[in-house]
Amino acid sequence: MMAKNKRVPTKPPRQWGVIGLWTTVGLATVLIIGYAAFASWRGARPWNDRLTGLAGVTDYASTNPAWLTSAHKSGPLTYEVTPSVGGSHNSSWQNCAGDVYDAPIAAEHATHSLEHGAVWVTYRPDLPADQVARLAEHVRGVDFMFMSPHDNLDAAISLQAWGYRLTVDDAADEQIRDFIGAARMKAGPEQGAPCPGGITATGTTPRDLNPQGS
Amino acid sequence: MSETRSASPSWTVIAAAAVALAVGISIGILYPIVRAPGDTSAEAGFARSMSTHHAQAVAMAMRAYAASGDPQITAVAFDIALSQQSQIGTMQSWLRQWNLSPTSTEPAMAWMSRTGTHHGAPTRQMPGMATTQELETLNQATGTDLDRLFCDLMIRHHEGGIAMVDAVLAADPADEVRSLAEAIRKTQQAEVDALRDMRARVG
Repeated sequence: MMAKNKRVPTKPPRQWGVIGLWTTVGLATVLIIGYAAFASWRGARPWNDRLTGLAGVTDYASTNPAWLTSAHKSGPLTYEVTPSVGGSHNSSWQNCAGDVYDAPIAAEHATHSLEHGAVWVTYRPDLPADQVARLAEHVRGVDFMFMSPHDNLDAAISLQAWGYRLTVDDAADEQIRDFIGAARMKAGPEQGAPCPGGITATGTTPRDLNPQGS
Repeated sequence: MSETRSASPSWTVIAAAAVALAVGISIGILYPIVRAPGDTSAEAGFARSMSTHHAQAVAMAMRAYAASGDPQITAVAFDIALSQQSQIGTMQSWLRQWNLSPTSTEPAMAWMSRTGTHHGAPTRQMPGMATTQELETLNQATGTDLDRLFCDLMIRHHEGGIAMVDAVLAADPADEVRSLAEAIRKTQQAEVDALRDMRARVG
């Protein structure tokens, strides 16, 4: 019966082979395009989305963009957040080419480093030495990174980038690596600006360059 | 014939899958090429002329960095020279990725005329550029003469750069271009303010 029907030209049976073929082709196409789109979306997720996806991050870039001015000012300055996450700053930046400072530094210089795209690691002075050593592994010798103790922290460890802050209690917290990975050389409005050539001295009083003849 | 076709459907399926794969790969390869800014686009014009514009700022800043005795001047010169040289690298790599030449035979400002932000005939002179004579004077000057001239030339140069930035932003550029253009505008405006303060101090 089946074989006989097949030879009747006016009523052909369903072409399962053809249907199967095009279903397969369709599925393969959808899979290929879908995977390509997913992979590029995942790899190219914007750096600020990667930052705000971290539980310990506070996003000031979205909530308070008016704080993030770039003017050069001399003398002591006050910042809305401690430690500073951006705003007007001293004309000299703190050297941020993988520098590990053993004493507090001036926010006026550090903020200029944040403008250049650096990530500033700060910790309470009573943080155990092994925790400090673990933090320093993220910083020492790494360009666009600098680290210092800070006397006025509301968390054991606080990382600052221009417009963003991460607070954690443990130097082993994986958010530290993720924050640095997303923010370093991306946060900060001055693309391509350097980290060497800055102030390498510690102390919380900003150092104004002494102009000629004054 | 129909016997052969129904006997080996797996081969047709494999062939069709191969075609689907080829189409997918082609889309993947062609999409960025089709999407890339063209030779006469505002993006390409901006990348080329801003590279040239930045190169002159680097030259002037290197002179001030090497010869000024004023630590505020040398600090800002150091920042300008290194930042702008790095940005030249960024803009040149765009042109390479877009498969475009780093140079063009068009007048330098033709792209700006097309954005409607630069009036009059296209010119080779970019806004804010120092003349050969002014560069010569800068290279001979010393002391406060050098500091004064550097501030004057760099303020004008930065303001010209901001005009070029506004022109490319008016053309609704690709994301990477918009991001750098906005960064340049913000940075150079802050530096213009700082340079004005220094210029007032030098007297």
